[in-house]
Amino acid sequence: MVGIVLEQHPDRARLFMQWKQMDWPVLVDALNILELRAVPVTILIDEAGIVRSTDPRASDLEVFLSSDLPDRGRPASVAIPPDIQDLKHRSENGDAEVLRAAADSLFLWGTGIDLDTAIDNYHRAINMEPGNGTTHFHLGVTYRKRHESDRRREGDFAQAVEHWSRALEIDPNQYIWRRRIQQFGPRQDKPYPFYDWVETARTEIAARGEMPHSLPVEPVGAEIAHPAGTLDSGSTTCTEPDPESRIERDPGKLIRIEIVTIPSTDPKSASARIHLIMTPITEAGGHWNNEVGPTEVWIHPPSGWEVDRSLLTAPGVKEPVSDETRLVEFEIGPKAGHDRTDITIQGYALYYVCESSSGVCLFRRQDIAITMIYPENSVRSR
Amino acid sequence: MKSQILRVMIGAAILSAGGPMSSIQAGTAIQEGKPFPDLTLPALEDGRPRSITDLLGQKTILHIFASW
Repeated sequence: MVGIVLEQHPDRARLFMQWKQMDWPVLVDALNILELRAVPVTILIDEAGIVRSTDPRASDLEVFLSSDLPDRGRPASVAIPPDIQDLKHRSENGDAEVLRAAADSLFLWGTGIDLDTAIDNYHRAINMEPGNGTTHFHLGVTYRKRHESDRRREGDFAQAVEHWSRALEIDPNQYIWRRRIQQFGPRQDKPYPFYDWVETARTEIAARGEMPHSLPVEPVGAEIAHPAGTLDSGSTTCTEPDPESRIERDPGKLIRIEIVTIPSTDPKSASARIHLIMTPITEAGGHWNNEVGPTEVWIHPPSGWEVDRSLLTAPGVKEPVSDETRLVEFEIGPKAGHDRTDITIQGYALYYVCESSSGVCLFRRQDIAITMIYPENSVRSR
Repeated sequence: MKSQILRVMIGAAILSAGGPMSSIQAGTAIQEGKPFPDLTLPALEDGRPRSITDLLGQKTILHIFASW
């Protein structure tokens, strides 16, 4: 028994296998190099490495196991990853296929800085072949990987979504690509909860006396949300924290707020999930002050639209000051009977921030404007 | 008994891993009667490179899945 896992986060697959006590060797194909359209897939492969069945029934398995091809034993081979410097050299003048292959290898085998080169290569390949959905998908996976690394740049997550969406526009029947967007998107577009099993897995593994595998990136928000047929706006009856706009503004000098809009993959749907990523600008001295209260975000949906929550909260940590990134998410959609139109969503964040790790601490407001534009097949945001 | 055990393993793996369907895209490198593509991918256990052919050479049930 051998496995291949198609997953952006292989550590989550490790936890899953530990939970289900699946102990066979597994390889990781985060880019879907095999170009499968959906999972799970079971394949029977004989001793000579020939594919005997790609969709076996129980009767196929019986025949497969009882066939008497000689067992040749495992071929002796040593897997050697490509030479990274050689890849970079060959990609300098390569065509789109060479550029993408080089970028794939840099993603699989390179170190953090190699993600930058991989992203450049994918962009160059796309310039040559703008209609290649596979390159767009791989580029999205790489942007997301860099977003989750210590080399994260502002806009990486938005770029990931942009290129996944472009890939899906090119091939709307690619369900692996569709699932990658739905993982972060609105509940009305989810086929199932993606990672709601994690806490149950940890509990059951611990009950067996084992230590659950750690996850460098915890699934949160959309990744653990359950599907919903409608937008649940029941929790919008709350008090606006600064209705008279009296709190002094931070014009973005201490806290950076990134906005990432994840549209529904259904082109007829106007629902979207908005991710607000708030990061202290430490080079300007910005730090969260955790001694007073959490970070809050207030959302004003435009007329004819509704959100699942108007007031969002991002808790702090135990330390008095900190510089971690904080994430809040909300969902928006048109009210029943209202047409979808281009809109701008107004809101603001309220936070306790210090001008340095040991400096003056303030209570500040930063205004937010999220523009959603609906071209023919997809939503874009600014 | 071995075939019964393997049937149970396949069933358990498929049910556990979720996902709505099983689908090989026509025209991909995975085709009945042809060699499985020789790829080198990171091993889940330690991230080290492993070739698919390292893991073949005897009757193999290959299960491709995701935890979501």
